[in-house]
Amino acid sequence: MSELPPEDDPEMQAQASSQPNIKVNADGKRDDEWSQCLQVIAKERDRAAFARLFKHFAPLVKAFAMSGSPLAASHADELVQEVMLKVWQKADGYNPRKAAASTWIYTIARNCRTDMYRRLQKFDTPLAAEDIWVEQEEEEPFVAVQQRRNAVRVKEMLTQLPQEQAQILAKVYMEGKSHSEVAEDLELPLGTVKSRVRLAMQKLQVMTEQR
Amino acid sequence: MVTHHPDTRLLNEFASGSLPLAQSACVSVHLHFCERCRRQVNALQDMGAQMFDTLQPADVDEALLDGVLAHLDDDVPLTYASRAKEDESPVLVQRLMAGDYQDLRWSRINKALQIARLRTGDPDNEFALYHIKAGGSIPCHSHKGNELTLVLEGSFSDEEGVYQQGDFLMRDAEDVHTPTASRTADCICIGVLDAPIRFKPWNYRLLNPFLQLQAS
Repeated sequence: MSELPPEDDPEMQAQASSQPNIKVNADGKRDDEWSQCLQVIAKERDRAAFARLFKHFAPLVKAFAMSGSPLAASHADELVQEVMLKVWQKADGYNPRKAAASTWIYTIARNCRTDMYRRLQKFDTPLAAEDIWVEQEEEEPFVAVQQRRNAVRVKEMLTQLPQEQAQILAKVYMEGKSHSEVAEDLELPLGTVKSRVRLAMQKLQVMTEQR
Repeated sequence: MVTHHPDTRLLNEFASGSLPLAQSACVSVHLHFCERCRRQVNALQDMGAQMFDTLQPADVDEALLDGVLAHLDDDVPLTYASRAKEDESPVLVQRLMAGDYQDLRWSRINKALQIARLRTGDPDNEFALYHIKAGGSIPCHSHKGNELTLVLEGSFSDEEGVYQQGDFLMRDAEDVHTPTASRTADCICIGVLDAPIRFKPWNYRLLNPFLQLQAS
């Protein structure tokens, strides 16, 4: 990644260490730290480890909550508590071979935000968002490894997307908007939004083939 | 083998959590049958995770951590099994049906077609099972909004192709079609509608009240 500090630059390194949230590298040194932390939480029910994890991730979950719909944003603190409690409760279901800690926590935050939004709108549903995400038994080790490798590649390439594509992806993922809502927001034709998303995915090699 | 898949928009909205509940459920059942789309969705999810990871952190009050720490020993709420084998019927459908096909309340539309609505709690989309007798057809129809279809059992064909177990179709308002089950076996499909179906032949117009959108 081009914008990362070169390792032999002491000034840049000093800056990096004074900012605990900075991304250190693309092959997941940071990610591994949090993966291990999660495993310690799962195995030893270690509260101090959980508090460390909380201090890193709760601000991200809160930022995620606040970038969503105004309805969900007004309950941001509640969402933070709900997500972090789930992290503690479900830690033993975390599989470090499959996903980075941040990916796993993101999926919990996404599901909780969706559920909260439905709850606030008084949906009467037998399904929670996580019920929709049924895990398949099949994943063989190499599939999981491939998955982690893909995640690293996505990370590298995301920073190189043209602004007009990155903006749309931010609205889709962080604001939780549908493609037609994004089109409305940006006053663009729906077709333009769809094709920019498709272009971004191709660039990120997320699409395995053209549809 | 699954040959018909949800498009990019559907998979993207599924992965980012904005797809309506009943439509998400339908995509989820497709994923049960389709490894290719599972991989796509994982990759799409990675994109979201990456954006999450690079968000500008927001200030979190110290008291919030204390609040969570105080609840760490609470009983964990029970959750449903969320793992499935590909050769079993989709867990999600089993849950929504809460029983077997014969336990459902089927509305008979004609000799060849019965419909049972399942409650998902989605206020804007109806989620229903369609049971088409072997060789039977769903009367030629069009819709106002979108129709998602997923083949659960058997197979059917229409003017454009043949659809097998796990195949996923999306039709919009312009599409007019007449799905026909294969001659050898009954076909059971999931249909998700965001507006009522309209049947073409005049004699089916009377039946339309049965097919009025019933989102629940």
